[in-house]
Amino acid sequence: MTTATETQTATATATSKAAGKPIATGAGGRARRLLGAVFAALVGLFLLAPVLVTIASSLTTTSYVTFPPKGLTLHWYAELLNRPEFLDSFLLSIGVAAGAAVVSTALGLAAGLAIHRYPFPGKSVLDRLFSSAFAVPTIVLGIGLLQWYAQLGMASSPLTLLLAHLVLTVPYTVRLVLAGLAGLDRSAELAAAGLGAKAPQVFWHVTLPAVRGPLIAGAFFALITSFDDLTIALFVVTTDMQTLPVRIFNYLQYNYDPTVTAVGTVMVLFAAVAVVIIERVVGVAHLFGADPES
Amino acid sequence: MAATARVADGPALTPDGSAPTPGVSGPVTKRGPWRTGLLLASPAIAVLALLFIAPLFMLVYNSFRTQSGDPTLHNYTRFLGDSFYRDVLWHTLWIGALTTLGCLVVGYPFAVYLRGRSPRARNYLSLVLLSPLLISMVTRAYGWLVLLGPKGPIADGFHALGQDAPKMLYNDTAVVIGMVHVMLAYMVLPLMGSLDPIDPALTPAAKGLGASGWTCFWRITVPLSLPGMLAGSLIVFSLTVSSFVTPAILGGPTVKLMPYFVYTEATSNLNWPYAAAIGFVLIVVTTILTAVYARLLRGRGDKEVFA
Repeated sequence: MTTATETQTATATATSKAAGKPIATGAGGRARRLLGAVFAALVGLFLLAPVLVTIASSLTTTSYVTFPPKGLTLHWYAELLNRPEFLDSFLLSIGVAAGAAVVSTALGLAAGLAIHRYPFPGKSVLDRLFSSAFAVPTIVLGIGLLQWYAQLGMASSPLTLLLAHLVLTVPYTVRLVLAGLAGLDRSAELAAAGLGAKAPQVFWHVTLPAVRGPLIAGAFFALITSFDDLTIALFVVTTDMQTLPVRIFNYLQYNYDPTVTAVGTVMVLFAAVAVVIIERVVGVAHLFGADPES
Repeated sequence: MAATARVADGPALTPDGSAPTPGVSGPVTKRGPWRTGLLLASPAIAVLALLFIAPLFMLVYNSFRTQSGDPTLHNYTRFLGDSFYRDVLWHTLWIGALTTLGCLVVGYPFAVYLRGRSPRARNYLSLVLLSPLLISMVTRAYGWLVLLGPKGPIADGFHALGQDAPKMLYNDTAVVIGMVHVMLAYMVLPLMGSLDPIDPALTPAAKGLGASGWTCFWRITVPLSLPGMLAGSLIVFSLTVSSFVTPAILGGPTVKLMPYFVYTEATSNLNWPYAAAIGFVLIVVTTILTAVYARLLRGRGDKEVFA
């Protein structure tokens, strides 16, 4: 497309000079493209800067956070190991996140199939609820859950935290499963059934593989959403049960040292692995309802 | 297991191969699909009912109670009668508007740039664009603390030019920068969605008829991408006014926004009913604003966007 336009422009420039208005000069086009590239690079830098800075300053030898880092050391990572509270929080966060991933994948698959294939009363309400769950402010949901759990007499535990996170993650897995099912050619299922496959076999060998990508992506997305959640966790945790983001948040109120940047870097690495997997399986943009390749 | 085994029976294998149309309630004669559908959806229904609807009802109910449980309107009269809290509400909406504007200014050229790239380049750029959403909010905000701090690289840049660095932390500037960083993807994705289908022949055609580059841009690209702009603005605004973490870390206690007070009333002052009332006011005000906005622009935008 670009080359075609270029040649067009070149000839048009030559011919239209006499007509008065050049369509676009070659130099002007190139300058504009360069300008665009510079702008995009700046936006990229803006988007990545906070993370790059966090990673870099976790390596500083100074006892305060500074960028660019002075010297290189892994001291602050070693320091992390001397802080059992960070390790406890990490284990709690990971456990809850893994639970949220497993449960929301199963729920998302079941609900996605139900919405896509079966008529049942209240179906459109359910569909609509799943889309509106995105829109409710998490801070409001957090305080609502706090009061609701108190009303039910449920003390905060990893289970209550996991349940709270399902509200954030299930809408995404449902949406992904629905997108996967929409792209599935039903004739494959019919063919399998026609060739004598039993319903469970059709499901296992035809339907499930078709939504495997969305399911894996949904699971990893649920994992990082739960792992990184701070707003809801703030309301559900107690002083002796703090997730990693809550621990860092509270630590930040009184401290400003490179230990936190080290934890932050560990969390970034963790998220990066999940992102790479999602990107490989379905594409990250899919997750947010947009496909840049379409 | 029984639930999954049922998945492929019933309508999945209807003779003509057509799926029951979702959302359309035609004459359903068989009861089987109904039961299967409900059975499959029931865990998700339970999650929504018990962990989404019920807590929100609880919140609204509590907002009309005193701390001892008697019915009252005091929480709302207190909020609306106090100029301090009215200012908090205005300030929250103001920060939302600034962030939306910032996202448009940065995101629009970026989306236009993405339009002409190869699929590969677009993929990488979209990944960069989405990266802030997938990285811990605390880490992200911490990075900005370092960058915008009085000893950070930006302040160093000012010093190198022989100037005093402006105060960039614990004020509105910091909050808006941090929020634009997080929200940019929510603006650019809908923009890409409405920029991409624009016929690439339109601009050369207009130019051939004598329009300048700017005229083409203002009279073709901008109007045709309006639906994406509106959808993006709507999402960015409503997510911004209800975010807590980034403003709390980058704005500190000096930037007073609604979500901050929901949090402090609930956890520091232990005044749950008042926290609930502030939260409910936030929901109501943003719902009204976005509904009005959508209504006002519906005629000009893509209907689907606001469906």
